[in-house]
Amino acid sequence: MSLSKGEKIFVGILLAAIIVTWLFSLSNIGGMDQLSQMGIGTKWIYTFGEEPGFFTRINWMTVIMGGIICIIIIVFARGVSKKFSMIPNRKQSAVELFLDFMYKTVEDSITVKEYIKPVFVISTTLFIFIGVANIISGIPGLNVSVIGGKPQFSLFLDTWYTPTSDLNTNATYALMTLVISHAFAIKVKGFGNWIKSFFQPVFIMFPMNLVGEISKPISHSLRLFGNIYGGGILVLILSYMVKYLILPVALWGFFGMFIGLIQAMVFSMLTVAYIAGQIE
Amino acid sequence: MEQAIIEAAKYVGAGLCMGIGAIGPAIGEGEVGAHAMDAMARQPEMAGSLVTRMLLAMAVTESTGLYSMLIAFIILFV
Repeated sequence: MSLSKGEKIFVGILLAAIIVTWLFSLSNIGGMDQLSQMGIGTKWIYTFGEEPGFFTRINWMTVIMGGIICIIIIVFARGVSKKFSMIPNRKQSAVELFLDFMYKTVEDSITVKEYIKPVFVISTTLFIFIGVANIISGIPGLNVSVIGGKPQFSLFLDTWYTPTSDLNTNATYALMTLVISHAFAIKVKGFGNWIKSFFQPVFIMFPMNLVGEISKPISHSLRLFGNIYGGGILVLILSYMVKYLILPVALWGFFGMFIGLIQAMVFSMLTVAYIAGQIE
Repeated sequence: MEQAIIEAAKYVGAGLCMGIGAIGPAIGEGEVGAHAMDAMARQPEMAGSLVTRMLLAMAVTESTGLYSMLIAFIILFV
C-alpha cells in the first residue's frame, strides 16, 4: 500500500493530535475525573424568554453540530462531483460503489417501480447524515456537559457531540419516515383503500393496527438514540479510571464507529422496510 | 434515612432492570448467530453477505436490551 504525500501528512497530524491529547489529559486527570462523573449525559439547553415552553428552548450543540455535518457532506459531495469522468478515480469509484449498493437493496424491496428512486434518495440521505454523525462521535473533539447549571466546554477530553445522541433529531427522522410512508400509501392505493388497510383482517383489529403504526416511530427513534447515547455513557463509565491510557480509543472505535455505522444502516434499511410495507 | 432508602432502591432497581432486561436480547442474539453459523456451514460461499445480514439482525434484536439500559440510566442519573 502506497500513500501519497497528502495522506502521509494527514496521518502524521492525526497521530500527533492523539499523542498531544494523551499527554494533555494525563496532566489533569483530577479535573477529568470530576468532569466525567458529574456532567454525565447532560445537555446544554438554552431557554429564552420568561416562561419555559415548547418553542422557547434551543439545544445549541445539536443545531451547531448538525450544521457542521451538513457542511462536511456538502463540501465532500462538491469535491467529488466537480470532476466526474468515464474512468473514475478512487473517490468517485467509492461513491459509485456505495450508491450502487444502496440502490440495489432498495430495488429488491420496493415493488412499485416509480417509487424506487424517491425511496432510494430518502434512505441514502438518512444513511449518509446519520453515518457521518456517528463516525464523528468516535473521534475526540469538542463536547459540552452541564455542571451546576453552567455549560462546561471540554476540548479533546471527550468525543465530538453528535446530533444523533439527542432524541429530538432521531424522533424527527422517524416521524418523517412515518408521514412519508403514509403519503406514498395514499398516492399508490388511493384514499379509500388506505383507510381500508387499517381494518385489514377483520373490523375489530383497528386498535391493534393503529397502535402498531404509532409504535413504529417510537421504536425506530429509540433504537438509534439508545445505541449512541448509551454507548457514549458506557464508554465514560467503563473508562473513567484509565481514561485516555489505553481503553477509550478501542471503545470509541467500537461504540462510535462500528456500532454507529451498523445503526445508521439499520435506520435506513428500516426506513425502506416501513415504506415498502405501506405501499406494497 | 429516607434518602438512604431511596438511594439504595435506585441502585437495586437499576441493577435488576439491566439484569432482567438483558436476558431476552441475549437469547435472541444467540439464536441469530447460531442460525447464521448453520447457514454458513451449509453454504460457505454465502458467508460474506450472511455476516452483513447477521449484524443487521443482531442490531435490531438488541434494541429491547437498549430500552432497559435507557431505563437504568434514567433511574440512576435523572
